[in-house]
Amino acid sequence: MKEKQGHEICKVAELPVGERVIVEINGRSIGVFNVEGEFYALRNLCPHEGAELCKGTVTGMNLPSEVGEYNWVREGEILRCPWHAWEFDIKTGKSIFNPHKVRVACYDVEVEGAEEKAVESFKVGVNDDEMVVVYV
Amino acid sequence: MKLIDCDVHNVPVSMDEISERMPAYFRQRGVHLPGSFGIKNPMGVLRVDAQGPNGEPAGSVPSVMKEQLLDAYEMDYAVLIGAKFLGVGVHPEVDYALAIMRAYNDWQSEIWLADDKRFLGSIVVSQMDPIASAAEIRRVGSQSQIVQVVMTSATRIPLGDRYYWPIYEAAQEMGLAVALHPGCECTGVSESFSSGYPASYLEWHTNLSQNFMSQLTSIVCRGVLNEFKELKFVFVEGGFGWVPSLLWRLDKNWKALRSTVPWLKRLPSEYVFERCRFTTQPVEEPLERGELEQVMRMMQGEKTLMFSSDYPHWDNDSPVRAFPRIDEEMKQAILWKNAAELYGLTS
Repeated sequence: MKEKQGHEICKVAELPVGERVIVEINGRSIGVFNVEGEFYALRNLCPHEGAELCKGTVTGMNLPSEVGEYNWVREGEILRCPWHAWEFDIKTGKSIFNPHKVRVACYDVEVEGAEEKAVESFKVGVNDDEMVVVYV
Repeated sequence: MKLIDCDVHNVPVSMDEISERMPAYFRQRGVHLPGSFGIKNPMGVLRVDAQGPNGEPAGSVPSVMKEQLLDAYEMDYAVLIGAKFLGVGVHPEVDYALAIMRAYNDWQSEIWLADDKRFLGSIVVSQMDPIASAAEIRRVGSQSQIVQVVMTSATRIPLGDRYYWPIYEAAQEMGLAVALHPGCECTGVSESFSSGYPASYLEWHTNLSQNFMSQLTSIVCRGVLNEFKELKFVFVEGGFGWVPSLLWRLDKNWKALRSTVPWLKRLPSEYVFERCRFTTQPVEEPLERGELEQVMRMMQGEKTLMFSSDYPHWDNDSPVRAFPRIDEEMKQAILWKNAAELYGLTS
């Protein structure tokens, strides 16, 4: 299997918590999300009818519950497709209603640059050179 | 691929575009149509990826609609249905609602039909005043891109009733189909579903088919198709999986109860196959996808089904993804032939 290549997307500072950026890598449209400071990447293609999934709303979800109970959880971790409103876990690409069969491809994301710039620069908050890198 | 989309929703960027086309007194009151009964789609009904470049509402900018829909799928035609304005049909203040109705129809022609020949128009009418609606059909119905009349499927009296016949008479006279579109159920002066009010948007949206069932039964049994021999009906966005079982039941009952509706001289289903059309969105999705084609065959979908996207609403369908693995002839009939014949279109 071909080794995955790292692709620099943007500076960490350019992708704040709750935001996303959509990029094209090797002809594939991919959405990169910042969820509470962690980065995740999903294919921008809904497995249902082919919508641009990553343009959907970032939201939360209700857990399965007893009648009359509403347990709203995971605010900011759920992506809702702009067509048909299917919910996907941004962290895994798995759908909420059928995680084993319905899922969207996800990719590894790392933040690079901090280790070379030395811990000190991180400590003083100079992190402009930290890059979000997606492995495809 | 030749393609007609039979349910596309256009809205103004601002309601001022409508109110400025209304007479002076009503203009100053703006546009206020019956809203929800307290339950709305919590995600909103508009695709969040279909806004205009400056945040304009989805469906309000013709160039965006063309880019995302007509050009993207190389559509030959898109039938506009001003669903947001169908509330005129359940508005209790009739003169005010008629002013909105006329303003919408003018706005549709001036902003959309004039913009691109691929846009086809539907005349919005109000069931609250069938006489005034008939006059409106005759006022604007001769425009070349107008293909049908549309009204809300939500009513106080089922749509087969003679009360509505002036609308049907005018539509037939102008050579236009009559389309029904959901959305106003449980709002304005309309009734709830027959068992009572739904308690969630999920219930409401699912039960829209129930209302369509009773409208179809009414239109057939009260003799509308006998009285208006050229008239055709389009059932938009009410689902279609229910059609086979409803027709089986109608036909079975007709064999015993024919004398109660003696104007029905043939099986009720035969009138439906000839004169009623059903749009596909939101396409039903059986767990076993092959079952979809079985349902299509049971309702003679090669004659009765027409593709619709419902762009730019949240549950819109893609013409290339909505019908996996169905027979190619059936698919071509749904995507093009049936609507082309109904509306008299050529590519």
